[in-house]
Amino acid sequence: MSSTEIAPDSTRRPFTGRRVRFGDVSLQAVAGTAAAAATFLVFLIAYKVVRGAQPAIGKYGLAFVTRVAWDPVKNVYGAGSFLFGTALTSLLALAIAAPLAIGIALFLTELAPRRLRAPVTALIETLAAIPSVVIGLWGILVLGPILRDHVEPALHSALGFIPLFGSPSSTGSSIFTAIVVLTIMILPIVASISRELFLGVPRDLKEGALALGTTRWEMVRGVMFPYARGGIAAALILGLGRAVGEAIAVTQVIGGGLGIQLNLFATGDTLASKIASSYQGAQSNIQIASLVYLGLILLVFSLIMNVSAQVIVRRVARRQGVGLNRGGLG
Amino acid sequence: MRTLALIAAAFAAVLTAGTAGATTAKHSGTTLVGAGSTFVFPLVSQWIPAVGAAYGDELQYSPIGSGGGINAVTGRTVDFGASDAPLSPDQFAACKGCAQIPWALSATSVIYNVNGVKNLLHMDGPTLAKIFSGQITSWDDASIKKLNPGVSLPSEKIAIVHRSDNSGTTYNFTDYLSSASPAWKSATGTGVAVNWPVGTGAKGSSGVAAAVSQTSGGIGYVDVAYAKANHLKFFAMKNRSGKFTTPGLRGILAAATSDQKPDANNALSIVNPPKKYDLAYPISTYTYVIVPLQSSKAPELKKFLFWAVTKGQTFGPKLLFQPIPKNVLVVAEKTIAKIHT
Repeated sequence: MSSTEIAPDSTRRPFTGRRVRFGDVSLQAVAGTAAAAATFLVFLIAYKVVRGAQPAIGKYGLAFVTRVAWDPVKNVYGAGSFLFGTALTSLLALAIAAPLAIGIALFLTELAPRRLRAPVTALIETLAAIPSVVIGLWGILVLGPILRDHVEPALHSALGFIPLFGSPSSTGSSIFTAIVVLTIMILPIVASISRELFLGVPRDLKEGALALGTTRWEMVRGVMFPYARGGIAAALILGLGRAVGEAIAVTQVIGGGLGIQLNLFATGDTLASKIASSYQGAQSNIQIASLVYLGLILLVFSLIMNVSAQVIVRRVARRQGVGLNRGGLG
Repeated sequence: MRTLALIAAAFAAVLTAGTAGATTAKHSGTTLVGAGSTFVFPLVSQWIPAVGAAYGDELQYSPIGSGGGINAVTGRTVDFGASDAPLSPDQFAACKGCAQIPWALSATSVIYNVNGVKNLLHMDGPTLAKIFSGQITSWDDASIKKLNPGVSLPSEKIAIVHRSDNSGTTYNFTDYLSSASPAWKSATGTGVAVNWPVGTGAKGSSGVAAAVSQTSGGIGYVDVAYAKANHLKFFAMKNRSGKFTTPGLRGILAAATSDQKPDANNALSIVNPPKKYDLAYPISTYTYVIVPLQSSKAPELKKFLFWAVTKGQTFGPKLLFQPIPKNVLVVAEKTIAKIHT
């Protein structure tokens, strides 16, 4: 409606000085307010989190960050176990998701028959839209038992000498199940961003490479990867952020265990899943403060990750000279 | 044009239906909003139409879990909260002028999934505590065999499942284990969440039930109404008199008669009652309604709560809620009378 009203108006009176200035000013105001509000919100959240965690910070200090303990009866708390769980689940999920996602993106841009591309792309993007609680339920009811009965015993008997593949879980809830669930959740994000990046590689570059006699793989490795590298790094960091922050689905399948152990088939917990499972109905003020302290650690963790992501992207982009500008992320 | 006519017709139909509904419902009363315990939800949902019919007040209840109910009433976003575990001192302080009133009575069942074994396997407190602390790891352990002569138990690993969220059922269960086993009491203790020595955490009764029923050798705990509704196998528990009792109405009532005096905050613990209550099911529990003593809807709230602890109790038995005994009713009514505007 509004576009049809504006269109004739702007063609009749193009760019008088006053109108342009008004447009500029309002653009400045709207965009500036949005940016300021977002920044303000981050500071407000940080302030509230620090204030909420204050009793726990005062009582436990920095030792809280690495201590492995969580006993609501004796009121002893620490973040060590959950920090370890967060790092283990999110990094391994990313390690599994990255090659798969890039493979999917390459398939959809270069290899798939044209007729397949649109439906497969739509399906992968649908995967991203499934609510995490639904993926979690599926994790409990379908994925967990399959992993426990088939995948975990197979991995244990083949690779049992590596401490990561210890004795299989009893109920199907384990760190491993959480990793698989997280992989499924970050896969569509990384895949669809990578696909956009590959679509953005100029046709003349690709055809030039092929004309020089490269195989398709050499063209992908020599032209497409370098071109999209910065953007892919950013996409992976985005996926990692999703994995680190995911609470509900992880709570449903990770099994709520305490401790630092390398066996992936044992139960565990992450910062986000611990907050999700324990905040409602926490019995003591110090426990609530400790949970908020976990939130603070999560906040700092994400901040470090975002900053390092930007550093990586910038460095890669500088080395390549391309990628950042046309990759669309940075 | 035809579609427009259709839309108009549909719109008119909705309008008339709306006005018709409004005239028949005729709600002169107030709306009372509550939230909390999922455990008590089957009972409260029976109350909703009955309260509407009796007083014209509309009752709304969201089963968001005991913890959520406590948070909601603390923030005064609801008129009452419901919790299966009594409030902790910190929670009482935060709630500023709240009272808890025992308003329903039921039990926790210990469920299991062992191939080829019938329902109502025998179990006692000390053995259960050893299982949940990881000292007994196989179903054919001598102490389980001794409780079940003549039953052939498989040599299967015991897979322990507990709640990962804060839960009144966990409170009831660990309260029992602490009472039955001094070792459990000193090592782990009682709480809505504890530092479990072994086992897998699952979210909600549904999570525990799902994990146990999918795991051969699984053991866990859920409220008895949930266990019955989902046809889960559960133990007959040995009480202090040596009898094996089931979480039925008779066993719950016998346990309820054991603790005659609520404490200053109306909390009652009826787990593992003394020997003379020989019919008692040892993992029985009260569940509570949490109300602010000062409420703008005080008259309606009082009316509803009086009804709930008296007439409302008659809805209980078919849902495995035992009506609360007289002496507890007296205490409950005394507290309800203190609510004011």
